[in-house]
Amino acid sequence: MFYKVLNGVKVIEYGNMISAPFCAKMLADIGAEVIKVEKPAIGDDSRWREPFLKDIPGTERSGLFQYLNMNKLGITLNPETATGKKIFIELLKNADIFVENNSPNSMKELELSYKFVKQINPRIVMTSITPFGQTGPYRNYKGCELVDTHMGVVGNISTREGDTSKEPIKYPAHLFSFQAGLSAAAGTLGAFYRQRVTGLGTQLDVSEQESVIQNLNAATARYSYGKQIVSRTDVLSVAPSHILPCKDGYIYNALAEEHQWWRFVDVMGHPDWADNELFKDATSRAQYWDALKPLLLEWTMPRTVEEIYRTSQEKGIPIGAVRTADQVLGDKQMVARGFFVAVEHPENGRLQYPGVPYRFSGINKEPPQAAPLLGQHNEDIYCGRMGYSKRDLDRLKEARII
Amino acid sequence: MDDPFLKGIRVIALTWVWAGPWMGAVLADMGAEVIKIETNQRLDHQRITRILDVPGQGSDQKPDINRGLFNVTNRGVKSCTINLKQPEGVEIFKKLVKISDIVITNLSPRVMPGWGLDYAALKEIKPDIILVTLPAFGSTGPDKDYVSYASTIEAAGGLSASFGYPGEEPVLSGTYPGDPIGSMYGVFSVLAALNYRDMTGNGQYVDVAQSEGVASLIPEVTMEYVMNDRIRPRLGNHDEIMAPHSCYPCKGEDKWVAIAVSDNKEWKAFCKVMGDPAWSKDEKFSDQFSRWQNQDELNKLIAAWTKDFTNYELMHKLQKVGVSAGASLNIEEVINDPHVKDRGVFVEENHPIAGKTIVYRSPWTSALTATLSPAPCLGEHNEYVFKNLLGMSDKDIRQLVDKKVIY
Repeated sequence: MFYKVLNGVKVIEYGNMISAPFCAKMLADIGAEVIKVEKPAIGDDSRWREPFLKDIPGTERSGLFQYLNMNKLGITLNPETATGKKIFIELLKNADIFVENNSPNSMKELELSYKFVKQINPRIVMTSITPFGQTGPYRNYKGCELVDTHMGVVGNISTREGDTSKEPIKYPAHLFSFQAGLSAAAGTLGAFYRQRVTGLGTQLDVSEQESVIQNLNAATARYSYGKQIVSRTDVLSVAPSHILPCKDGYIYNALAEEHQWWRFVDVMGHPDWADNELFKDATSRAQYWDALKPLLLEWTMPRTVEEIYRTSQEKGIPIGAVRTADQVLGDKQMVARGFFVAVEHPENGRLQYPGVPYRFSGINKEPPQAAPLLGQHNEDIYCGRMGYSKRDLDRLKEARII
Repeated sequence: MDDPFLKGIRVIALTWVWAGPWMGAVLADMGAEVIKIETNQRLDHQRITRILDVPGQGSDQKPDINRGLFNVTNRGVKSCTINLKQPEGVEIFKKLVKISDIVITNLSPRVMPGWGLDYAALKEIKPDIILVTLPAFGSTGPDKDYVSYASTIEAAGGLSASFGYPGEEPVLSGTYPGDPIGSMYGVFSVLAALNYRDMTGNGQYVDVAQSEGVASLIPEVTMEYVMNDRIRPRLGNHDEIMAPHSCYPCKGEDKWVAIAVSDNKEWKAFCKVMGDPAWSKDEKFSDQFSRWQNQDELNKLIAAWTKDFTNYELMHKLQKVGVSAGASLNIEEVINDPHVKDRGVFVEENHPIAGKTIVYRSPWTSALTATLSPAPCLGEHNEYVFKNLLGMSDKDIRQLVDKKVIY
C-alpha cells in the first residue's frame, strides 16, 4: 500500500490483464486488503505480457504484471470445480468489494454473476468491468484495447491533422484499458461509501466503451450544436498547437491564447517575420501553418528540448517537453515529488516503478509491496484463514483446484 | 431503494476547462450537490471559446448564451458567481465551506492560497473538510507553477513520445485523454478521503498531479526502460503478440473496422468468415508467431477483403464467431448505435438558452441520478446559494451585486 486509507476493507479480485487488476490495484494502493484470484498454473495473462526483465519471459518477470498487482495478496483457484466454487463463495461472504472483468456469459455459467453474488452477500459492491457493459445487444461481444477505443470513437479520431491515406492509429500501450480501471475504482469508492452509510450493496456495471466515450467532450459539443463530425484528419483551427522537432527531441508547442504566442515571439527574440500580417492571430497562423512551421523550425532545431522548455516556462508559456521514458524517470519535478518508487521483489530484486499521482497530506506514505508470486498466499489464506490443513492444500493442488 | 451514492454530500468546485469540471460532473452523477463558483472577472474559457462557426456561439456573444464545450462538461452542477478577488467574496466562500463536505479545484496551485484559502484556512472553518487539488504537475516541487494544457501534460507523462506510426514522428493528440484521466483520479481521491472521513472523522487534503496520472496509466513505457534500458518505439497499431491487430478499410469514405486476433482458434474462425482464401493457408500465417512476423503483408491481404463490407457488417460477422472486432465509429454513429442507445449513454437535454444539447453520463450504470440536468447558466443558482443555503437577505444580495462581489 501507499496510504492506509481503507483500513480493514476486504476486496476479492477475479480479474485478468488490465482493467479489473488496475481497479483492484488502486484499492490496494490505499490500504484495502486485495486477494487476487488467479488461474492455477498459468495465472493472469498479463504475467505473459511485455516488458520482461532482461527480455526473459517468466511468470514473475513481466513489468506490466508487477506494476498492476503490487500491494495485493495472490491465490490460485479454479472456480469451475465444485470445491473451487465453494471456496470462492466463502471468500465472497467476507468481502466488502468484488472486482472482476469476465464476460457476462462466463460469470453466469460460473454462477458468479451479481444475481448469485448478492444472495451470498447482499451488501457487497460488485464491480464488473467489461468491454460493453452488462446489458445491451453487444454485452457478450469480445473487446480489447484496440476494439474498445474504436467503439468509443477515440480510435477513429485519435490524432489531428492525420494522413487520409493511412489507417487510424491507436494511443500507446493499454491507455484506455487503464482508464477504464481507473474510472471503475472511482465508481467503486462511491458505491462503497453508500454501502458504509446505508448497508446497500450494488453492481457497478462499468463499460470500457463508455470509459472511452468520456474523452469525447469536444466531438460531442460540435455534433450537438453544429452536426459537425470530428475527424482525425481535421486541421487544427488555432496554431501553433503542434509538436515541433528540435535539436534533441520534440516540444509540444501549445499556444492557444494570443498573449502566449506573443510572449513566445519575444523568447525567440522577436524575429521580423513575426509581424507578418499572415501570422497576426491564432486562426491566421493556423491557416498559414505551412509557411509558419519552417520559420519556427529555424529557431527550434538548433536548440534543445530542455532549453526551450525551461526558458518558455519561466515566462509562463505553456510549452511542453515531449519526454521519453528515460526523461520521465529522470524528470526533476517527478523525482522531487517522489513519484517513482522502488519495489523489492524476491526474484527480480529492487526496481523502480511508477507510483501514485496523489498525495494525502495527513497520512504517511508507505513503501509498496511487490506483486504476489503465483499462488504465494495460498497457504496463508487456505490454511491460515479458512482452516484447511497443509495436506488438504496438497490435495487441492493435485486436483488442480488451486 | 436505489439512492444515489453521495446523497447529502455537498461539493464546492473552483474548476475550469475540462479536468476539474468533469470531476464535478461525475460527482454530480453520483448524487452529490456540486456548486461551481464562477466569476465574470475571469470566466471558464470553455464558456467563451469558439468551437465552431454556428450562430449564437463564440466569444463575441454573451457568455451565458454560449453553446460550447462547457455545456457538455459541466452538466449536473450548479453555478453561482462570487468574485474572490474581493475580501467579501472570500468571506462568502468561507460560509459556503462551512456547510459543505468537499472542495475541489484545478486552478493553478498558487491561486487559492493567494486568496487566503489554503487547506489550513479551510480546515479552520470546517475541521473535517476535504480539499482535492488537481494541478498539472502537482502543488509541490520545483516546476509546480509551470503552465500546461492536456496536450503538454500528455507530453510530460511520456504519452506523446510513444504515440505514432512505426518509424515516424510523434503524432498530435486527437482527444486529449490527459484531462479526463486527471478528473477520474480526482474523483477517486475525493471518495477515498470521504470514506476515510466516515471511518475516522478526519478531513484530508489530497493533491493530484495530472502528469503523474498519465505516466501511471502507461507503465509499459517506463518499465521497458527500467527493465531493458530501452526506449519503447512508436508502435502504431501493433500489439506485442496479437496479429492481425489493426484497422482495415471498409465500404464508404474513411470507414474502418478494428480487428484483433489473439490465438489460433480465433484465426481459424476469422479465415472461415473470409471464405478460407488460399493465401490464409500460407506457412507465413500458420501460427501466431509467423502471423506477427509477417503482419504488414497480412494486413494488406485482409484489407483487400474488408473493403467490400461496411464496418458494422464486419463487426457483427466476426463477433458472431468469437473474433474481437469493432466498427471504427464516429461521433454520429456512436450516438445512434443501438447498443449505446440501449444503455442510455448519451442524453439529449434541453438547455434553457443553448437549446438541444447532447451530453454523456459517467461510464457506469448503477444508482445514477435519475436525470442529468443541463449545464448551468452563469450564476443560475445564485438565489438558491445565497438565499436558501446562506440565508442572505435580498437587500444584502443586491448590495453585493452592486459592489461586484456577487459577480
